[in-house]
Amino acid sequence: METLSIWQSLFIAVWIALVEGRAFGGMTLTLRFSPLMTGLVIGLVMGDVGLAMVTATILQLIYLGVNSPGAAMAQEPAIGTTLAIPIVLMGNLSPVQAIIVAIPVSILGAYIYKYRFVVNDKIGKRTDAAIEELDHAEISRTIILYPIIASLILFVPLMFVLLQWVAPLIASLLMGLEGTHAIHVLQVIVNGLIAVGIATRIYVLGKQEYLLFFFLAYVLSIMLQSLNITMISYAILGALLAALYLLASKNGAAVATSGGSDFDDDDDDF
Amino acid sequence: MVKEETGTREPEKLTKKDAAKAYYRWYFANEIPHSNERLLAPSLLWALKPSLRKVHKDDDGLKAAYKRTIEFFNTQLTLGGGIITGTLTNMEEKRANEEHAGGPVMMSDDMLNMTKTGLMGALAGVGDAIDSGTIQYIFIAIAIPWALAGSAWGALFPSLGFVLYQLLIGRYFAHAGFTQGREAANILNDDKVQNILSLLSILGMFMMGILAGKYIPLGLNLSFEISNEVFVMQDFLDSFMPGLLPIVVVMAVYYYYVKKGLNANKASLWVAVILGALALVGIL
Repeated sequence: METLSIWQSLFIAVWIALVEGRAFGGMTLTLRFSPLMTGLVIGLVMGDVGLAMVTATILQLIYLGVNSPGAAMAQEPAIGTTLAIPIVLMGNLSPVQAIIVAIPVSILGAYIYKYRFVVNDKIGKRTDAAIEELDHAEISRTIILYPIIASLILFVPLMFVLLQWVAPLIASLLMGLEGTHAIHVLQVIVNGLIAVGIATRIYVLGKQEYLLFFFLAYVLSIMLQSLNITMISYAILGALLAALYLLASKNGAAVATSGGSDFDDDDDDF
Repeated sequence: MVKEETGTREPEKLTKKDAAKAYYRWYFANEIPHSNERLLAPSLLWALKPSLRKVHKDDDGLKAAYKRTIEFFNTQLTLGGGIITGTLTNMEEKRANEEHAGGPVMMSDDMLNMTKTGLMGALAGVGDAIDSGTIQYIFIAIAIPWALAGSAWGALFPSLGFVLYQLLIGRYFAHAGFTQGREAANILNDDKVQNILSLLSILGMFMMGILAGKYIPLGLNLSFEISNEVFVMQDFLDSFMPGLLPIVVVMAVYYYYVKKGLNANKASLWVAVILGALALVGIL
């Protein structure tokens, strides 16, 4: 079985520490909630972008509902991904096996992520002191540099140990499931979780009347399956349908009000 | 670090460029120093720092500005962050000019604080729903087939596309905040903007429908042998209503949320147990 070299484990551990430390600015919003980029990074490091991306996509689909606005997030998808994809690649496992690792690890990851805020509270005291001294460089260090270092300390050793020594053990255990009925059961569960993810997303999107567009798209994609229509084409179609709907409902409202006032005018004439 | 010379140097003039710079700095610092006590206030301070130094030329004024900026602050990245960094750049410049002129200070600490806290919550709710809730997932939905085909674009497109969007829209809001002050928040009441928001949430719904149709291959696994002919249940189902099972599961979960409130973890557990059991006994 292929395992990770020390440098590979270290690189991946640093990557996830920087993502969870939010060190890439606003980009980390997507990097943290979506497994896709972490999948690509791991694929490049381990030399198998194809299987890494397929696995990342399955995780992405089950994580579609994970970031619901306003609600506290109980999972860190990127952390779960960081362990799950190398395990799939090491054991050359069915991609659906990734969820066995990803879900528990991303729940664990959420606790560590929250601990970051506690550490940052302590760093905040230094910011206060630097403001008192008007030490501009130290203010910047306490706001940017120290929190990033703190995140590296929180995540790198843990993720390194998991990747270097725990991942191969889990991979060899999971290899035993290959070829059994368990893989089919997992596949069905994954499909169910994708359904949950999509249901969560459309629930969060709001207005129930717009559900009609969900059904419309669903029926279209089932009917047109054999045509292999790209997502971009579907997106353009969706945007046009949305614009038509909004235009029609605006004109409808305008006609209704102008019709009403005409009627009033007639009344006055008599 | 050399300290600023104390004295009565004139505040420098701030422009839209300073507002945009504040936004870009906010965009980078954003969640890095996130803490329980102050949430994102240190990022706001780091964003405004160059502008504050340009206008508050005396140490006491600058220190006071730093202290009022680092009080508790939290908002969403682009809409909240853009409008508030722009507005505060404008307001802090006014404040510094008033202090420098030595007359009465109209732009009081209270005024600055109320503007900040008044805007941050309202803008955060809307901004989150649009950005994290809708636009991010439209980008992801478009990229799913590429990702599933093993292409790097499946990862690069949603990440880079979303970043480009965040930078452009946030810069626009920062400019609006700088030129219009807190009035910039009224942009949300504009009809055109309302239409764009409706369009986006419809498009979000639509793309989820496409994903549901393409990527939930749930089907019955049952088949019977009747007089040497295999009768596959799913084929029978497909013959009059293809794609029935996935939509039933999605809508069951949706209905569960409508009745019991949003709890994705519970829903996941139920779905995993029920579907897992059905798969185990060979029905799915």
